[in-house]
Amino acid sequence: MKDIFLQVAQVLTVLLLSPLLHGFIVKMEEKVQRGQGPSIFQPYWDLWKLFHKTQLVPETATWVFFWAPVVAFVAMMIVPMLIPVLTNFPLPLSDMGDILGGGLILTLGSFFILLAGLDTGQPFGGLGSSRAVMLGILAEPTLILVFVGITFLDHSMLPFVANHLLAQSPVAYWSPAHIFLVLAFIILLTVETDRLPIHSTIPYEIYMIDEARILEYSGPLLALLKWASWMKQFILYTIFLNVFLFPWGLSVSGDFGSVLLALLVILAKYGAVGLFMVMVDTVQSRLRFYRYQEPLALSFLFAVLAIVADQL
Amino acid sequence: MLIFHLGPLATSLFSLLAILALVLSFVMLGSHWLKNHVYAFAAESWVIAAISASIGYYGHYPELYIIAALSALFRGSLLPYLVLRLVKRLHINREFTPLLKPSSSMLLGAALVIFSYEVARQLGVSLHLTDNIAVLALTCMFSLKLIGFLMMILRSEAISHILGLLVIENGIFLGSQIIVPGMPALLELVIIFDLVTIVMAFGMLVRFLQSHAGTTSSRGLQKLVG
Repeated sequence: MKDIFLQVAQVLTVLLLSPLLHGFIVKMEEKVQRGQGPSIFQPYWDLWKLFHKTQLVPETATWVFFWAPVVAFVAMMIVPMLIPVLTNFPLPLSDMGDILGGGLILTLGSFFILLAGLDTGQPFGGLGSSRAVMLGILAEPTLILVFVGITFLDHSMLPFVANHLLAQSPVAYWSPAHIFLVLAFIILLTVETDRLPIHSTIPYEIYMIDEARILEYSGPLLALLKWASWMKQFILYTIFLNVFLFPWGLSVSGDFGSVLLALLVILAKYGAVGLFMVMVDTVQSRLRFYRYQEPLALSFLFAVLAIVADQL
Repeated sequence: MLIFHLGPLATSLFSLLAILALVLSFVMLGSHWLKNHVYAFAAESWVIAAISASIGYYGHYPELYIIAALSALFRGSLLPYLVLRLVKRLHINREFTPLLKPSSSMLLGAALVIFSYEVARQLGVSLHLTDNIAVLALTCMFSLKLIGFLMMILRSEAISHILGLLVIENGIFLGSQIIVPGMPALLELVIIFDLVTIVMAFGMLVRFLQSHAGTTSSRGLQKLVG
């Protein structure tokens, strides 16, 4: 019974805290630029506003247009069941899929948004979708290699095993294989959560990649898409922190108090990674289109080095 | 061969430092800017000095402290300073002549690392190296050498050639520090003076090249042949 409650709590954590994380990063970016910035709760009000607007649908849209946001949103609600968000032990539904399965569901969501971008036949949607596919071609092999690397390290496909191994053995934690996986994942994180070396922070059509795919959306469906993208960011931070970088601070027993403590730790460590991303966004300039492969080649290199170092 | 036994934490530390040196050589492979190359080389030398010092600490070789200090002083400070001075006087900031883009050369470098790992593993099997750290040191040594060669092949700017040579030498030194830690200090002194001579001679050659051929790219030299 308690386990089921915890499982629901994991999903709710991702659902409810992901706008806060986004709001925090936006606020901090403004602060760095000496601006005032919106409140960190602004994303919630945005969602509220969007859910109360009328839904407008382009004449050329088909069923894909309706279903893409729903699929993306539901996919992002499934992944938190598979990964350690609050507890460091598996919950009843955690063995539905392994670490590659989680990656597959994450990709399924973006795949449907991609189809939706192409669906209406609007030029910016096609542009955004084709760019997103190019990035996917460059980034996905590295993501799979990172998962393979962590599998070599802990001899298991489950994220919980990796969490336990890294939390308990300093030798594994400081081994070069693990450090390379962390470095490779940081680069992937900037790419997948729309941060700067590749994604622009300015909402300007020429630079758009992910936003261009959803330009046609409005009202509740747009709210779902935005929420899904914030949840994706939160989930990737979860994988990065709870599986790779900082496997401590999760609830071990599953008691109410320890879960509450885990929530507080989550706020602190996700905020820290958020601040790191703000730093990246501040010091990095955007790469031009034909240099996109450079950070991703670096990430691929780190993943390969990690696998080589794993063999030793 | 490693003469002394290492604890798990020391092993992790050594592999971390060795692989850090390898990553710094990839910085050189992936960047366009000559200054970045020189800084990466300096950092790599400091990392290798740290390896010497920690081997001296864990294996009780007091003379390795002197070697560490010497490599930090010469490889980590004097040689980069000389090369930087050369870069400033020649007014070249970027490498304009690579045959491949940075991303492709990094992938090539990754392939070379895998190749050298395979070679090191075979060597480890035939030499009965039981310690993984020895195989790792061999891997890093071969990779650094091959990456140095790669830098010299892919780029034709004279300064990149100097740096390629220095990287190769760093690789050999790193391997020797871990695999045969008791190398005489005299040998190290000889190598350091060799390096200083190499950099000086190259510096003179490059300036001569610039004043006579009007370029510092070695590709321009092909015209002089027959």
